[in-house]
Amino acid sequence: MENDTESKKFKATLDSLSSIREYVTEQASKAGIDKNRIYKLCLAVDEIATNIINYGYLRSGIKNAHVQAIITKNAKHFSVVLEDTAPPFNPFERELPNDEELNKPLEERPIGGLGIMLAKDSVDEFRYEYKNSTNRNIFRINICNEDT
Amino acid sequence: MDVKISTTDKIVTIAVEGSIDSNTAGDLQSKIMDKVAESQNVLLDFSKVDFVSSAGLRVLLMIYRQIKSKNGKVVLVGVSEEIYDVMSMTGFVNFFEITDTIENALKTL
Repeated sequence: MENDTESKKFKATLDSLSSIREYVTEQASKAGIDKNRIYKLCLAVDEIATNIINYGYLRSGIKNAHVQAIITKNAKHFSVVLEDTAPPFNPFERELPNDEELNKPLEERPIGGLGIMLAKDSVDEFRYEYKNSTNRNIFRINICNEDT
Repeated sequence: MDVKISTTDKIVTIAVEGSIDSNTAGDLQSKIMDKVAESQNVLLDFSKVDFVSSAGLRVLLMIYRQIKSKNGKVVLVGVSEEIYDVMSMTGFVNFFEITDTIENALKTL
């Protein structure tokens, strides 16, 4: 299958979040993905980019760092890969809120892990890998062609 | 992100414009929480909000806890379908009144 790939590098600061979302939106719109799915993809990417910037880099004291967003499109999938060189951080090792916690009244609810839960639930596939000293968070949405 | 705040006797109306993400949520929180603390009810106008992440939900949670402790109400207006979905995925939707117009919101308060 033919893959079409392009990428853009962003400064690892929180004010890059809106630029990252804009980039993903622009690319996903070109691929014909609908507004609601683009929003959810942006949400997933935003939540994980926030963790990379806040926990991966800032807490480790790494300055002048970057996050690379790599977009790959083919007939079946649209993918965004966020790459960073912070210490390994596997979002799946974080404890996520369970159903019982999600049903608790808001005044009693813990709020941690909500971002990662949203990231997982907002795309068709979310994976993490650590390769060549690089964290790779991979988000994929399936392209549904309703005509076929 | 911009915030406009107006206050009446028992209601503080907070109109937010732009995105509420980890970059802007702290700013929103510092701009509104004093007013929320002084008020019985909160009307949040989200009709010009285009994006809310978990950082934005955390601000909603803080508003809710503050107002709930006074037996007040938090009403949201103009929530987009996408933001509604996020609130639904996280169970937040059950704790807020959501209406389509400010007039309807005011009727519930």
